[in-house]
Amino acid sequence: MVLELHIWGPAFGLPSIDPHCLAAIAYLQQAVPRGKWQLIATSDPALSPTNELPALRNGDIWIGGFRNIFHYVAQFSSGEWVLDAGHPDQQGADCIAFSSFVEAHGQPLIDLSLYVSSQNYTSTTRPLYNTIQPFPLPYLTPPSVRATAKQRTAHLGLSSLDVDTEDADAAQEKSIIPESLRKSKNTVSSLLAANPESNAQIRLDALATNYFEPLQKIKGKKPYLVSDSQFSSLDCLALGYLSLMLIPSLPQPWLSKTMRKKFPDLCAWTEDMIDDVFGGPVKAEDALLPNGGDSTSAEQKAYLPWTAPNNGGAVGVGSVFLSSIADSIPIVGQLRRNTRMRLHGGKTLDDELHSSSWHGIAAIGSIVAGLGLAVGYMFQQGLIPLPLGEEPVKERNASLDTFGDAGAALSVFAIQLDAEAQRQRMGESHGAPVAEVAVEAGPGGVTVTDNVA
Amino acid sequence: MYGTIRVPFQGTNYVDGILYIDFFPMPSDKTSDSKDRAPHAGQTSFEQHTSKIRHFFSIPAPVKVLFDKVPVLTYPPNDLPQRAPKPARIPSLYVFIKKEDAAAGRPSYNPSCLKWQTFLNFADINHRLMPSNNHASPSGALPFLLPASKNPQEAPMPIASNKLVKYVEEQGKTVKESSSMRYEAYQSLIDHRIRDAWLYTLYLEPLNFSAVAYHLYVSPTSSNPLVRASISHQLRSAAEAELLKHTAIIDTDDIYSEADKAFEALSILLGEDSWFFGTTEPTLFDASIFAYTQLLLDDELGWQEKKLCRALRRRANLVQHRERLLVRYFGGS
Repeated sequence: MVLELHIWGPAFGLPSIDPHCLAAIAYLQQAVPRGKWQLIATSDPALSPTNELPALRNGDIWIGGFRNIFHYVAQFSSGEWVLDAGHPDQQGADCIAFSSFVEAHGQPLIDLSLYVSSQNYTSTTRPLYNTIQPFPLPYLTPPSVRATAKQRTAHLGLSSLDVDTEDADAAQEKSIIPESLRKSKNTVSSLLAANPESNAQIRLDALATNYFEPLQKIKGKKPYLVSDSQFSSLDCLALGYLSLMLIPSLPQPWLSKTMRKKFPDLCAWTEDMIDDVFGGPVKAEDALLPNGGDSTSAEQKAYLPWTAPNNGGAVGVGSVFLSSIADSIPIVGQLRRNTRMRLHGGKTLDDELHSSSWHGIAAIGSIVAGLGLAVGYMFQQGLIPLPLGEEPVKERNASLDTFGDAGAALSVFAIQLDAEAQRQRMGESHGAPVAEVAVEAGPGGVTVTDNVA
Repeated sequence: MYGTIRVPFQGTNYVDGILYIDFFPMPSDKTSDSKDRAPHAGQTSFEQHTSKIRHFFSIPAPVKVLFDKVPVLTYPPNDLPQRAPKPARIPSLYVFIKKEDAAAGRPSYNPSCLKWQTFLNFADINHRLMPSNNHASPSGALPFLLPASKNPQEAPMPIASNKLVKYVEEQGKTVKESSSMRYEAYQSLIDHRIRDAWLYTLYLEPLNFSAVAYHLYVSPTSSNPLVRASISHQLRSAAEAELLKHTAIIDTDDIYSEADKAFEALSILLGEDSWFFGTTEPTLFDASIFAYTQLLLDDELGWQEKKLCRALRRRANLVQHRERLLVRYFGGS
């Protein structure tokens, strides 16, 4: 049986746009003999039951996630196709620790550089998904990847890189000065706002340096990160992350610039490894149309075992499209995710019952709330007309009526005024015109009638 | 309508903090009213505009009457309630902890609180522990430190946990930091691998949640079953959201096997040394690992699903490391 590795499609001349997929490719390329595995640029996580890529398929068995793939490959070959065996203790520990470090600290950097930064995202990353995914999917995938990336980097306080979130209208306050008389304001802050990367330069540099420095130090002059002679799983992972930091040419190249300027050693290592492991730059056509058979890519195809993806034609793409839409609907998406998690994490029947009752309650509650919201919205928009009560047209006296509660409170004083006026009238019973103010305090407010006698 | 109302118009006098508004008789106001409402044909739109604004800002007659009758008083600020914390002569660390444990200076039951509590003990900063919860914190998360107040009139500013190292330096105490190139990498093992496993094992393992987390975080807050149900739901979904940030699905086996590997790596790193990175005194790194090992090895918490605890117990030197710190800085168990 041939193992099939399903990945996100190629980008930037690398075999995949995702660091974990790159790591999995590198691992299989190094560990598994040629002809025993195939590489398929599916670019569709919904295909695998765990909803993530990379995914390894062996007949009916799907393995999701690159660490699980490493384990499965070792298990499948009865310990033959392993990279990490035989490290001395300290190297093994370093391998574990630095893998965690590469992943945990590298992900935010890639998120910031490829997805959060508006300029890089709109001009480079988003268009790339058009080349690796069939037609309607690029409308859904990149925004959801970007939303996750933003969530992951929220704690860094660098959301200013994303200029889309700022309300352009809110910044321009409405002014009574006509358009033609206004001066265009090129203040320092507005110039910086136009280019948020330079604004956050110091923090981004610090983040990047903190990431590359430990890697540079642990590598030293060795050919591989932890070992003198052996390609390890850490090298796969680091290659995945570092190549996605170094290779893409972006409009805002802060990450690759820092890397090239301060860590030329790591850059050289990354470039060598890309040539060794991936066989140099990869074109999207190599992966998606391996049967197109033009001469330039023949060598490429020989290097990585590409197979054309079969995404089930229009029906397959349509169902994926619908399921990703369902995932992005607030409540439905949450329920779908919950089911997915329960399927995977093997819980006992007891917990299943317990949690499913909870989910039931939550589902009913959210449906009720959703209905309420929808009906409220319809009322608010006037889709369902409110039964029009007799709203009396109060034109008569606008003085106290218009003040609502305050008017009601004022009625106390108005009554007092009334009493005063009466006393006055009694005092000067026969005089010139007397202002007679009649005040009636009722539940609907206060009515004042002025009569000038 | 309490508070100060400062409306800049003619006829206002401030006398000893009391606002008096001169009373204009109604008729004069009425005439101006009618004038505003019927603009002359020759008025430009600008004049109309300004007159509209002026009309908007003019004080309506009834309000004037009201202000005349009821002068607006500004009262001095209230005193703090009786139960408000008094300024103390020693700094107070606000953590998740039971009352009786706080008095005895025992470890907190929240890892990030315990980390900084241990760190302050390393730095030999005398402090008292205050049982608290996230709502009390200015940053929304515990722990935070309220420094000793030198001046009883001035309330000291609380210090969030990420500023504590600086605070300790300002107090003239030092906790040595290792400058090993491996520091960041192994720290990420604790902050991600072990933390993820901790979140999973405490909040998402149903047995542990009802046996451990429920008694620590839910039942002390309220006795109302509805409130308790809502809080437990919130806690669990927050933990779930935190785990789902980094992966598409929560893979239990992966979480536990990664935590096991993390303990293995940390155990190799510690080796035969007393403290991590071979330092002579414990550092912040020792505090961060102790925050988890102490709680996982504490039998009083009553863990039901002990997968993570077993993974830790297999590493004898990590267990001894925890014992050493417990005896030296918390006076035994």
